[in-house]
Amino acid sequence: MNQTLLPKTRLDDFIRFLSARQKVIAPVSLGNNQYKFDEVSSLDEISLHYIPTILPPKKYYMPQHETLLKYDVSKGQEMEAVVEVEELVLFGVHTCDLAGIQCLNMVFSDRPKDLHYLIRKNYLTLIGLECNDYCDSYANCAMLRNHLPKGGHDLFFTELADCYYVHVNTHRGDELVEKSGLFDEMNTQAEGELAELRTRKKERFKSEVAIRYQDIPRLFDETFESPVWEDVGNRCLACGNCTNVCPTCYCFDVMDEPDLDLTKGRRIRVWDSCQHEVFAKVAGGESFREERKDRKRHRFNRKFKYPVDRYRRIFCTGCGRCSRTCMAKIDLKETINALMEERE
Amino acid sequence: MGRPKVAFFDLSCCEGCQLQVANLGEDLLDVLELIDLVEFREVMSEKWEGRYDLAIVEGSVVNDESEQRVRQIRDRCNVLIAYGSCATIGGVNGMKNRRPIEESQAAVYGDKTDWFPATKTRTVDQVVKVDYYIHGCPIYPPEFIKVLKAALAGLSYPVPDFAVCVECKFNENVCMYDKGVTCLGPITRAGCNSWCINAGNVCYGCRGMVSNPNRNGAEDVLRRYDLNPELIANKMMMYNAAKESTDE
Amino acid sequence: METVTINHTGYHIKRGKIRGITPLTAMEKMFEIELPGGDALDHDPGQFVEVSLFGVGEAPISICSSPTRRDNFELTVRAAGRLTEALHQLQVGDEVGIRGPFGVGFPIVPLEGNDILLIAGGLGIAPLRSLINFVIDNRRDFGKVDILLGCRDPQSMLFCEELAYWEERIDINFCCSVDRAAPDWAGNIGVITSLIPGVTLDPLKTFSVVCGPPVMYRFVVDELLQKGIPEKQIYLSLERHMKCGLGKCGHCQIHDVYCCQDGPVFSYDVVKQIKGAI
Repeated sequence: MNQTLLPKTRLDDFIRFLSARQKVIAPVSLGNNQYKFDEVSSLDEISLHYIPTILPPKKYYMPQHETLLKYDVSKGQEMEAVVEVEELVLFGVHTCDLAGIQCLNMVFSDRPKDLHYLIRKNYLTLIGLECNDYCDSYANCAMLRNHLPKGGHDLFFTELADCYYVHVNTHRGDELVEKSGLFDEMNTQAEGELAELRTRKKERFKSEVAIRYQDIPRLFDETFESPVWEDVGNRCLACGNCTNVCPTCYCFDVMDEPDLDLTKGRRIRVWDSCQHEVFAKVAGGESFREERKDRKRHRFNRKFKYPVDRYRRIFCTGCGRCSRTCMAKIDLKETINALMEERE
Repeated sequence: MGRPKVAFFDLSCCEGCQLQVANLGEDLLDVLELIDLVEFREVMSEKWEGRYDLAIVEGSVVNDESEQRVRQIRDRCNVLIAYGSCATIGGVNGMKNRRPIEESQAAVYGDKTDWFPATKTRTVDQVVKVDYYIHGCPIYPPEFIKVLKAALAGLSYPVPDFAVCVECKFNENVCMYDKGVTCLGPITRAGCNSWCINAGNVCYGCRGMVSNPNRNGAEDVLRRYDLNPELIANKMMMYNAAKESTDE
Repeated sequence: METVTINHTGYHIKRGKIRGITPLTAMEKMFEIELPGGDALDHDPGQFVEVSLFGVGEAPISICSSPTRRDNFELTVRAAGRLTEALHQLQVGDEVGIRGPFGVGFPIVPLEGNDILLIAGGLGIAPLRSLINFVIDNRRDFGKVDILLGCRDPQSMLFCEELAYWEERIDINFCCSVDRAAPDWAGNIGVITSLIPGVTLDPLKTFSVVCGPPVMYRFVVDELLQKGIPEKQIYLSLERHMKCGLGKCGHCQIHDVYCCQDGPVFSYDVVKQIKGAI
């Protein structure tokens, strides 16, 4: 791990250097203060100051539709397992989304490993970008300590007055720095500016909810039967927006897509949502989370309680996407506050 | 065994769904490799006297004559696909069910009402058994092919029972509500790949409602966006009146 | 976008050949399946496989044969969905895709040397049959064996010939009951729980394994606890939709538990900690 500097005037050169080697993905504006990760080839296409994109970068790690197998039934159940890959550099990924990718990495490298995910991941290069200030009031990254970089990137950029402070985290990141020839030596002024920024952030980013990180799982354990879930369930439209935009929701459905000849085809997986009524249905017709409140509670617990038992990590990144996108304005921070009030 | 005999029929409709099929382009050639097309008014003039393996019916039932016709089609086919909103949920034809039939007739035919006997609008499945549904006004061509493949393989095709929002999020569109525009996506069932919204339009609810919408929750949402629930109900009635008026 | 072929993934299927099809009732058929090269499935009683037909899909099916019997394995399939209906159309010699076995099956080691009370409701007899035949094939390793079976009516009873054989054996107490039957039915009528009080057992020496539809569990467990069987000695097989079998897709998840990897068999002292599991 070492540090280097990229003068702001050379950022466009760096993007062009990257895009000459492979596709570059970065946040672009869609209007209405909304953004998405999309292909770019120069700096002017990128929105450097953006609020979390509609979909998180998980779409590059586990695409909405992903081929697992190609099959041919003309001579029995023949198949070939495949991974669809593409070399990409993801530029400008915020710390909340880096945390989201770290969560997905844990899930898919847990045994039995998911090679489709792990192989694709190797084709992706991650360049992070620090948030110097809050994106908006929906974010709750500080309560989860995701407003600061905690690894998971190849390079990490922090914007200073005239340059970017760049942390080099991997060999792959180092190679980009070396080969581009655009980076300068670290200097004490930049070190000072970074320290100043971090101090400022400490003042600015305070836990959004009055609960300690380590106490969060217990809160959800103790409020399992809380009437708060009733209220949340009454409001929820079960549209599934919250799961689709969540950087750590990874549930999926597996289905076959036959070609028109009906002998060849693909077995694919598609994003699915625990908020849909049919999600936990069994062949006999029984659904195990029939009520919206059961499903909503399940989702919250899958962020704040269950993964802590399994992976020792809270799976909420604090990006605020679920609250931002919810038609019924079910707000994550409000819900946690309501649960805390309920418990007292 | 030869290729399955397939016929297309239209009841009361604009025949726009047939046009979607005729416009499938290269896919249509692949489809034609698979089936023996015996009747399709918009692209051929031949008629077939035998039995159909697959009848694909567009349009709603709006008079006794069309009722008789769809019953005959059902009797002559093994599998029936209803396609297009008019056939599956009544579509825009259903709007006439919102007032007494005599009023509608008088408005359209004036003093010649007797020449054109009419009934309330009915969906195909309100008259005969339907095996497959392809919703939409017009149908979404990739879904048509998907259902056709399922029907030819003898497999069921469950229409997605979740909101258009799901596919709209997959496509990463800016939410219409964030643009200050009303959209029926949150209560309309998916399967169209949020076709309209991808193209900058709103969802008009042409595929019918999800089976268990949270009505109270939806009204809350409308209030939050300062929208009148009646306005939305009216919008929904554009395509769904036939189902509403008979489902009670 | 480039496509890379991989040789080893959790979604790989083995090509199983159907070697026998036995119609059991109007709804259920039993399939005997041979793996390539005659390989054994190498399963534990109570585990399941994902059965697939390309173009149709995949579904989890519990294995109903004991690993002690032959190299082929057997599946009882009720035509209840897209895949299972398609399976019912197949002929001997046709292929199916097999993934697995998956999950944690019935506990063999704790049962050894102890009395066992096996309770099945409806289609639950299928997975339990794998354990029953395992016990029969190792009969001397177990104490007293009681089997209780409940079904809707005599027509829906599975494995009738085998049931008769279990009934005949003097080292097994077999008892069955139907919810309803025609007047000429000579057997018991009543729900499965009505059979439990009649079983004589030493509760601390008895392990019970229960397998049936979700609604059955609470009532049966209450009866067993009343008999004094400790919670740790009651095992349940939970039915959920195991889609991927790999602990990822989320469909079979109950709280932090993935039925496909952590289950489907759990002891009651664990199940009761999982709110809403039964």
